[in-house]
Amino acid sequence: MLIAENVRKVYRVKERKGWFRQQWTEVEAVADLSFRMVPGKIIGLLGINGAGKTTTIKMCSTLLTPTSGTITVDGYDAVKDDRFVKAKVNMIAGGERMLYWRLTGRENLQYFGSLYGLQGQALHNRIDSLLLQVGLYEAANTPVERYSKGMKQRLQIARGLINDPRYLFLDEPTLGLDAPIARQLRKHVSELAAQHGKAILLTSHYIHEVEELCDEVYIIDKGRLVAHDTPEHLTKSLHLDTALQVVIPSLSDSLDYDLRQLVLDYGGSREIAETDEQTWEVTLRGKTDMTTPLLSLLAAHQSPVLRLSTQQPSLEDVILHMADRRGA
Amino acid sequence: MFHVAKATFIRNTRVMIRAYPWSFVIGHIFSGVYTVLFAFFAYHYVFAGQLDGNFVHLTGSSDYLSYAILGGAFYAFAVSTLMNVSRSLITELREGTLEAVLLTPSMRRGYFLGNVAQQLMRTLFEFSVIVLVGALFGLTLSHTNVWSAVLVWILSTGAFFCQALVLGSLMLYFRDTYITQNTLFAVMAFVSGVTFPIPYLPEWLQPLGLIMPLAPALDAFRQCVIQGAPLHAVLPQLFHMAALSLIYLVIGVWGIRRMEKRVMESIFG
Repeated sequence: MLIAENVRKVYRVKERKGWFRQQWTEVEAVADLSFRMVPGKIIGLLGINGAGKTTTIKMCSTLLTPTSGTITVDGYDAVKDDRFVKAKVNMIAGGERMLYWRLTGRENLQYFGSLYGLQGQALHNRIDSLLLQVGLYEAANTPVERYSKGMKQRLQIARGLINDPRYLFLDEPTLGLDAPIARQLRKHVSELAAQHGKAILLTSHYIHEVEELCDEVYIIDKGRLVAHDTPEHLTKSLHLDTALQVVIPSLSDSLDYDLRQLVLDYGGSREIAETDEQTWEVTLRGKTDMTTPLLSLLAAHQSPVLRLSTQQPSLEDVILHMADRRGA
Repeated sequence: MFHVAKATFIRNTRVMIRAYPWSFVIGHIFSGVYTVLFAFFAYHYVFAGQLDGNFVHLTGSSDYLSYAILGGAFYAFAVSTLMNVSRSLITELREGTLEAVLLTPSMRRGYFLGNVAQQLMRTLFEFSVIVLVGALFGLTLSHTNVWSAVLVWILSTGAFFCQALVLGSLMLYFRDTYITQNTLFAVMAFVSGVTFPIPYLPEWLQPLGLIMPLAPALDAFRQCVIQGAPLHAVLPQLFHMAALSLIYLVIGVWGIRRMEKRVMESIFG
């Protein structure tokens, strides 16, 4: 298990004040953060106001030393026993870094495998299996500079798995990828946890991705933990509004009046907009489901329903709600 | 450590084959050949073969052309080794692969050893071309004590490698290669006895030569090639080189470790 306890990271940043003067300021990127990574589970790290996520990943992967607090990986301290920890972890970042563009996919994996102490047939077999796993076996001997963005990202995954890490950190892994490739990648990540028992920490700006993949979510604001739960509990716990949307062909004054009354009775809100197709789109928001009374009301007014949909609050709504609350 | 060195050697060779750094190689050869030609023309047409009386006393030989040509060739060799090793980590940083390397539990010693071993192929080629051109312009090789010269050459590689670690740390600190390396190379060329003996320098400048591994390396190599000196005759220079290597190694290893951390801290998100 990876256990981060009361981890804090402070950067010292130099600021130039004119030609010869400079001033050092301290920036607290992570403050008193604690979390656990368990094999077979995916946890998400979401940030409200920037900084903190990448720093956390870099501390867990031994690239950065925490200013205070401890990170232990299967009992090894990430600072004192960094060599042992490095053998158990790996990181995959979004974008097109962390690969040698002039080497082929296979040569990249050969090099990184060697840096992890793999040699001979064991390395060869591992590379073949990873290339098959990420669908790059056919392109294995093509230089990376000729790979598409999606192929580079898949090779990154293979590189991140070359040492068969127990703990995997994914920092914006689908950044800039086309939707079908991103979906394929999400499927792969899900399998890594479910079938291969990897403990995965994921950060992403695409909140639906976190919602789809993660068993638990940690929400941090300015490096400080503000919420931690499953995505479902997080959305339920805040009692956010459910949106009920109905499209009708016409809107009489009496129906408009009754809709206003309905919203008042249920303590919600309403938005009405005329669409390009000369129809009316009515959106009712509230904590209680208003589907049944709305349909009764429309039946009473003999108004046909062209479209009806309900939108449950998402993790994105939770983040936006928290951001609004903390920004206020 | 050795499998990391081997992997780095293979990686660099593959990259070299696909994108050979001809500009650097040609640049180093041109710089060495220029020194050869400059020495030749200056000696024959400016000084008309006349040498300062002190020269023989200070160098133990009146063969100025061999002195300057070997200086040029050895300087190109030192510059090449220093450049290839010191730029390795900052190149990883610029190409976005540094994090991936630092994530691994591999020994940095193996990584650098692989780099230095691979670059030896290039420097040996450059050195051979310059010596070959030098032989056409007056370099005398007939007295060479081959084994001593080869050994001095190998030991010098070690010394330049240690110095390259310090240079590499400075490059990571300043996030610059061009100004950092060229400042060092200009000072090295001036104070290490490349084209004239160090005692010709103003007294206050001479101690600078003592801290450059190139000075004792070049002195020992010249003695082995020009006068055919055996290894025991150049022991003082070898000890000097060994002491400098040790100092540079300690500072370099410490510096690289610190700079790796500093670089990681400076790219925060």
